[in-house]
Amino acid sequence: MTMRSFTYVRADSVDQAVTEVTADPEAAYLAGGTTQVDLMKDEVFRPLRLVDITRLPLREVRADDDTLTVGALTTMEELAAHEVVTDRLPLVRQALLLGASPQLRHMATMGGNLLQRTRCRYFRDPDVACNKREPGAGCGAIDGFHRMHAVLGTSPHCIATHASDVAVPLLALGASVRIRGQGAERVVPLTEFYRVPGGTPHVENVLEHGELITHLEIPLPPRGTRSGYLKVRDRASYEFALVSVAAALLIDDGTIRAAHLALGGVGTVPWRVPRAEELLRGAAPGPDAFAAAAEAALGGAQARRDNGFKIELGRRAVVRMLSTLAEEP
Amino acid sequence: MDRPVVGEGIDRVDARVKVSGRATYPTDADLPGLAHAVLVQSTVAAGRLTAVDTTAATAAPGVLAVLTHENAPPLREARDRLGPLPPPPLQSDRIVHHGENVAVVVAETFEQATEAARLVTARYAPSPPVVDIDDPGAEHVRDPFGSDGGTGDVGAALATAPVRVERTYRTAVNTNHPMGPFATVASWEGDKLTVHDSTQGPSNTRIGLAGTLGVPQDDVRVLAPYIGGGFGSGLRTWPHTVLATVAARHVGRPVKLVLTRKQMFTSVGHRPDTRQTVRIGATRDGRITAIDHEAWQTVSIRDVNPEHVTRASLSGYASPNISARDVQVRVNVPSPGSMRAPGDAQGNFALESALDELAYELDLDPLELRLRNYADRHPVTGQQWSSNDLRACYRTGAERFGWSRRDPRPRSMRRGRHLVGYGMAGTSFFFAQFACAARVTVTRDGGAVVASAGMDLGTGTYTVMTQLAAELLGLPVRRVRMVMGDSSLPEAPVAGGSGLTGSMGSAIHAAARNTVRAFLDLVRDDAGSPLRGAAVDDVRVEHGRIVRVDDGRGESYAEILTRHRQDELTAEGSAEAPSEDEPVVPTGPYAAKFAEVHVDADLGVIRVARLVTAAHCGRVLNEKTARGQLVGGTVGGIGMALLEHTVTEPRTGRIANGTFGDYLIAVNADIPDLEVHFVGGPDPTTPNGTKGCGELGIPGTAAAIANAVFHATGTRVRRLPITIEQVL
Repeated sequence: MTMRSFTYVRADSVDQAVTEVTADPEAAYLAGGTTQVDLMKDEVFRPLRLVDITRLPLREVRADDDTLTVGALTTMEELAAHEVVTDRLPLVRQALLLGASPQLRHMATMGGNLLQRTRCRYFRDPDVACNKREPGAGCGAIDGFHRMHAVLGTSPHCIATHASDVAVPLLALGASVRIRGQGAERVVPLTEFYRVPGGTPHVENVLEHGELITHLEIPLPPRGTRSGYLKVRDRASYEFALVSVAAALLIDDGTIRAAHLALGGVGTVPWRVPRAEELLRGAAPGPDAFAAAAEAALGGAQARRDNGFKIELGRRAVVRMLSTLAEEP
Repeated sequence: MDRPVVGEGIDRVDARVKVSGRATYPTDADLPGLAHAVLVQSTVAAGRLTAVDTTAATAAPGVLAVLTHENAPPLREARDRLGPLPPPPLQSDRIVHHGENVAVVVAETFEQATEAARLVTARYAPSPPVVDIDDPGAEHVRDPFGSDGGTGDVGAALATAPVRVERTYRTAVNTNHPMGPFATVASWEGDKLTVHDSTQGPSNTRIGLAGTLGVPQDDVRVLAPYIGGGFGSGLRTWPHTVLATVAARHVGRPVKLVLTRKQMFTSVGHRPDTRQTVRIGATRDGRITAIDHEAWQTVSIRDVNPEHVTRASLSGYASPNISARDVQVRVNVPSPGSMRAPGDAQGNFALESALDELAYELDLDPLELRLRNYADRHPVTGQQWSSNDLRACYRTGAERFGWSRRDPRPRSMRRGRHLVGYGMAGTSFFFAQFACAARVTVTRDGGAVVASAGMDLGTGTYTVMTQLAAELLGLPVRRVRMVMGDSSLPEAPVAGGSGLTGSMGSAIHAAARNTVRAFLDLVRDDAGSPLRGAAVDDVRVEHGRIVRVDDGRGESYAEILTRHRQDELTAEGSAEAPSEDEPVVPTGPYAAKFAEVHVDADLGVIRVARLVTAAHCGRVLNEKTARGQLVGGTVGGIGMALLEHTVTEPRTGRIANGTFGDYLIAVNADIPDLEVHFVGGPDPTTPNGTKGCGELGIPGTAAAIANAVFHATGTRVRRLPITIEQVL
């Protein structure tokens, strides 16, 4: 396929990039381009101006005692290979390495990963109706083929699944994004960053046009925390999750002291479940606590014709993830 | 040179040109004045075109022409050697499937053609599509291939059978998807048409194009020296190929047309979905008394596509009562086509699953059930097999797999959190050999050029035919050059039905023999030749020489040509399809497949842990390429079993997952070590002893996996692909 014409600008500074995009409603940032260029080829995304930010000094990872600060242009592979991630954040590392392919992971940036668009075929095919692509057009997926679609956070206007793997553990850990716009910098926790579709499926997060994610801030869980990422999918590799679970548990003296839990592949946004975390905190690790957490995790899930199995699969995946962590020596 | 060249797993003779980028694929044809064509395809599945507005497209930069049903030339409904072609394109306002061609835009560049194609506005009066195989409104065609058959009285036998199973099985639409997008480059010089095309049969496509365009076959030349794979999608003469030739004639320039991946879902066929009911009756001791197999498959509204689903049920097992019937259901989907082991892939899944279910009913080992019902002759015709080492396949496969370690009880074997299942299936595939011609030219430098129009779609035909010709001419492999993939060469059949090796091999056998005969003719009265007066049966060939069998005297091809001042000597040869009506019936290859699956006990994730195939393919011409065919076919079979599913939306007839991101093909991580063992001897039907092994990897694989999934989980899944939600 070919693309429509657009102008291309390479930004030399964050300020310049933000100014360029903010000033032009038809402009967009270009980083790794691994999703964006596909969407342009498919005519789903039609920017008239691309501002290349790949040369900006945002490709760095810094750690202090309790926070990992990740420049938004750090690639997935770079972050996965970072020693602090290897050492302290198994759930993040596993989620990164179970996503995409090595080729893509060497191109795709962390900022872009959090902003990746849904894989919903109705969103990605301009010949069919999609409220996310064209507000008010209708949703082809709700009555169409939606086996991969979301069961949580859906609305009558959109059931598209958020596709990111790594956003799931980041959300579970309470990570934030640092955002630069024309005004002051702001820091937004991921729990407040994503927007469920409601009546405006085209609004996926709190970013205003021209705002740029510059950094991710990942709180490091206390040493001794066990964590992991479980991804359930049809194909063994190079495939999006039917259900995924990111979890971190701090177990001490037969009691869960801290719990982090989020799900992917089932929500219109990465899905953190505070209620399940509450149920786990203070409980004895075991089948009862895990089943209760799993029940809570999928609470409110809404099945449609093809995707109902995700609810039970999601519960089982939660139990599996938690029991795997609890059984770790 | 004293080692036999046939059988040895030599590297591909075309490996170097391929990996160095010098092999010319259809898209590589770059002709002076080349223009580019892009298709516009329908966004409804049924109805009529009310208008196709081409004004904006025609006015777009670089556009040379926009063809629609309103200005396209009339085309004929034609046949090629495989049967009727899909309906010719742009002949009416009627739409019968989503993704049907409604216009073709030709421009100076690909980008201009793509842009202009976007500007074509088609308006439709849509009608509700019929897409479901179970739709009561769909038209049924019974016995569409005249292949229904059987023996005895199945109804009576089933009624009295002490043990019976009756089950319904379903298989999904799969789409072939070779890596290389299909492409056509067409050019006319006066009335002469040259076409570079992603075809598996240059001779066949020539026939199809000539018939459609209404021109003499001699005016059409089709070239396909290399294509980017096919898996059967290159067998039919497709509408986009026709449109490229029409567009080239219309603009008076060569035209290139390359399908997009999305268009590959709707333009070059697919394996149709099936619903199959199998009824088997047996005695308590496991003797089958009746096999009744009825298969429904979908086909496009105005199309005929030979896909004999119940074939193997007519010949696979010894049963005094057999009935096998096929029904086509006409629906608003694109034209299907052959996809590796067409019909057999689906039919085998139903039959071999039902046998597994019968084995459990009988409390009998599934392998033992098959051995007890081995057909020592054709169960319907009573003919003897030309060769059948299926029992050796069972034996070797079971041994290598460790079948005896299987605890037959479902859910009885575990490894950690995984349920372990062992399953097996038998496979009998058909024999195919078609008329084929070949030409051998021996040159004065002592080398040979062997030519035939047949093509190598990536299976290794160049290589095995080179080996075979080298053996038959007594030359080293490096002195033989195969020239293929050009319809101006001696006519050859399609690379399909696992039949090209047998067909072309037999033709080369004849041509080589005629070549030796021509050399002997040349020296018949040559006092200087030790071969003077020898007949072809008096000699053998070795080391580039023709040698008398009796006294070992002889001379080289080069010496003869030099003395007779000839640069080269050419001979042709051909072979016909063997008769099916002799007391001994030409018999295809056999295999036994043994699969181990691991199923996550909680999450339902199914992975194949190993798969052992024992195959009787007759004489194996090249151990490496033959193994590649079996392994590759098995990979396709694993995809069919667990992943591949072209989803058509009931409401719209649109393919809902028409990308490589959404249509799942097995990746390396899905594929375990695949063992292949060749057993059994040569088949006497062809002079070279081959049976054909190109498709044998597919049928049986899905059934072995499904049977293993039952053994692992206790859940019988009768619908492909087997996905998590079916075993959760």
